[in-house]
Parts: sequence; structure tokens; C-alpha cells
Amino acid sequence: MPDSVFITLDNRLSELDRLADEVERFGEAHGFSPRTTYQIRLALDELLTNVISYGYHDQERHEIGVRMRLEDGRLAIELMDDAAPFNPMEAGLPDLTCPVENRRIGGLGIHLVKKVMDRVRYERKEGKNLLMLVKTIE
Amino acid sequence: MELVEKTNGEVTILELNGRLDSNTSKILEDKVMEVLGQGRKKLLMDFGDVDYINSTGLRVLLLALQQLKKNQGRLVLCSIKDYMKEVFEISGYTEIFPIFPDQGEGLKGFA
Repeated sequence: MPDSVFITLDNRLSELDRLADEVERFGEAHGFSPRTTYQIRLALDELLTNVISYGYHDQERHEIGVRMRLEDGRLAIELMDDAAPFNPMEAGLPDLTCPVENRRIGGLGIHLVKKVMDRVRYERKEGKNLLMLVKTIE
Repeated sequence: MELVEKTNGEVTILELNGRLDSNTSKILEDKVMEVLGQGRKKLLMDFGDVDYINSTGLRVLLLALQQLKKNQGRLVLCSIKDYMKEVFEISGYTEIFPIFPDQGEGLKGFA
């Protein structure tokens, strides 16, 4: 398998299963640990579930691009979509120290993305959301 | 996701299987509500055959814990695969859930 793949998805949640399969295949081909592959799957799932569920205000079909590139032991992932502008890095985070009874349900997905990725950067460019993620591969 | 329900004394054991994500978490949520509705308050969730969980799945666990606590119940988790443990940690869940390596130990956790 090449060190770089580009996958396009429709803005439907069912497409995330196909993306998960692609990530599994990519990870297997490049000898990623189960932990690494799982964390990549998780980050993409969390980010794209948000985009697909909340990012579009019409009923049209939209295309989402996912590029994964492995270079010098680091995986760079780019996500491109034409959904409403949204910078997940500015989203509120859950209070994980709050007692169980009052713990707020939500905000956890983005928290997980930040924790499992080494770097997350957002840009709005030419009417598109562009998210760049980097993960060091052990 | 598939789900097998067993009982061991007062403890209801839910053996989960497959993925716990946005498509499947509702199954677990409904089952937890059903178990609570029967007045059962000790719940052990076995993650031995769960190979994927995301924030939606994690959220259902928190909801279940909150519901059980309200009713003086308890929720114990067991057999979480090594590669997923870190995500339970960074979610803060290792602080709020008793987590055991296997079902046997998990059952002892109710003693």
C-alpha cells in the first residue's frame, strides 16, 4: 500500500464505516499498533460525525476529503469539507473533574481528538474547513 | 453490536460484542433502562468482545452510571481491551468506574 491515500466520502454517517475500513487497512499495511489504529479511527470518527451531523444546513450531497500521508514515522491527516465554518479547537471542553452526578454529557469527542493526536490545526480556506492532524506512529 | 444478558445472583451481566458507536449505542442505552426498570441495581458490563468505542458509547456509560447512582445502584466494567484503555483514562472514566480485568474479578467487585 502506498504511503499516501486520498478518500472521498459523502456527508452520510454510514460512510464512516467505509472510512474506518480504510484506516484499518492502512494501519495494517504499515504495521501500526492496534492502539494507534484505534486512536486514528476514533479521531476521524469524532470529527466527521460532528461535520456530517451538524455542519450542513441543506439537503444536498456534499463531498468530504480525507488524506492520510505517512512520512518519517508521522502520520499527517487532512480533512476537507464545505460545511459551515467550525473550528473544533475552539469548542468547549468537558469538566472531567466534576462529580459524576453533575458531569455534563457532551464535549467529550473533541477532547479525545486533542488527546490522541499530537497536533490539530484548523484553517478556513476558500470556503472550506481544513483540519490538519498529526500523529506520531510508534 | 450484540448484547448477551446473564444474571449472577443480584448482578446483571451484560456481555457486549462489536462496536459501541453512534449507530449502536442506543441498543445499550435501551437495555440499561430495561434492566433498571426491573429494579435491578447491580450491573456488570463485560467489554471482552468490544473492539471499538467512541464518545457516543462512552456517553451511554456515563448516563447509565448516573441513572444507577440515582437509584443507589452500581455499575462495574470489565475486560476492556488494552488498546482502548487509554481512551477510558483520558475520558476520566478510570476515576469514576470500577474497572476489572475479567468477569470473575468484576463480580468480586460487588462484594
